[in-house]
Amino acid sequence: MSRSVEPLIVGGVIGDVLDMFTPATEFTVHYGTKQVTNGCDIKPSAAADKPHLQILGPPLSSSLYTLVMVDPDAPNPSEPRLRELLHWIVVDIPHGHDATKGRELVAYMGPRPTIGIHRYILALFKQEGAMGGGSQLPDGRANFSTRQFAAQNRLGLPVAAVYFNSQKEPAMKKR
Amino acid sequence: MAMALAMTTDCASSRWSMASLKSALPPLASTASSIRYPCHRRRSSSKCPQLVRSFTGLSPVNPLHSLGSSVTQTLADLNSFEHNFTIIDNGFKVYAMRHGRRVPKLNRPPDQRRALLRCLTTQLLKYGRIKTTRARASAMRKYVDKMITLAKDGSLHKRRQALGFIYEKQIVHALFAEVQDRYGERNGGYTRIIRTLPRRGDNAPMAYIELV
Repeated sequence: MSRSVEPLIVGGVIGDVLDMFTPATEFTVHYGTKQVTNGCDIKPSAAADKPHLQILGPPLSSSLYTLVMVDPDAPNPSEPRLRELLHWIVVDIPHGHDATKGRELVAYMGPRPTIGIHRYILALFKQEGAMGGGSQLPDGRANFSTRQFAAQNRLGLPVAAVYFNSQKEPAMKKR
Repeated sequence: MAMALAMTTDCASSRWSMASLKSALPPLASTASSIRYPCHRRRSSSKCPQLVRSFTGLSPVNPLHSLGSSVTQTLADLNSFEHNFTIIDNGFKVYAMRHGRRVPKLNRPPDQRRALLRCLTTQLLKYGRIKTTRARASAMRKYVDKMITLAKDGSLHKRRQALGFIYEKQIVHALFAEVQDRYGERNGGYTRIIRTLPRRGDNAPMAYIELV
């Protein structure tokens, strides 16, 4: 797997939200027709609906994946008091499939960058087994900790991650 | 890039790399750190020293900075003779008058001067507080205020003008995204200069300049 984690390090994803990992899986995320690459800009209006997610690879292995989407720059990247803001958790995604095949623990909430330019991180974890009823739902979306969630559910290090930037669209056209 | 990796992976505290792809201005209010304000003659040993609320960049303030200045202050406190003398002065440069001096030349030819000021404003907008010589700090105020004023306007033309001045484009984008919230009500005066102890090597008078 030759995908490097350098964009994640430079963008501060590894360090703020995730720990250093070696990518083991590849997955693609599409908002409509636009594919999400590390650090690309996506408008909040374009990301209001769930993205189309595809874990690449032949659907042979029976491994299940968990996807977590967080915003570490809430409400303001200079003062991330609510770091991290949880947007989406999907568990039990079978290998080689779409995110709709999984079970949505926390419903999708679109990006809402109030001030500044926010990063939105989608991290994929490999599950040991099927996530039973023992997974605790985090109460409230603010001050979420991806590391803690992974530790609680024995997910370990992520196997893949991608992030994109988003900022508030100006209400009026600036002259 | 290797340096960027090394800097960002080795310690969690220094999150800024050489090429900053993160679009965020340094935070505004600091809760933990403060610089002890150099009180000159008025302070008696019974009053507690005033603490200036200062600013951290995303890298937390080196505790040695405040420790160093506070240590010298407390050492000076103990000796009552010491604190009658001004510790922070203008470096023995006696300015009688300033007639006709419009532009600070900073001992450099014009191209280098412009590059130095561009560098300094980029670093100030990146880190929130920097320590330089007093002449440089007072020379760069104008340019920092100019950049923030451009960001307040926010149009494409102003954005391109800012991109032509500031060396890192992510800083410009972060500035344009956040300045309305931060400096929307404030009219001018977006920086603050605090004088500190002279530099050891050449006794140059130093100062901290920070975004208000």
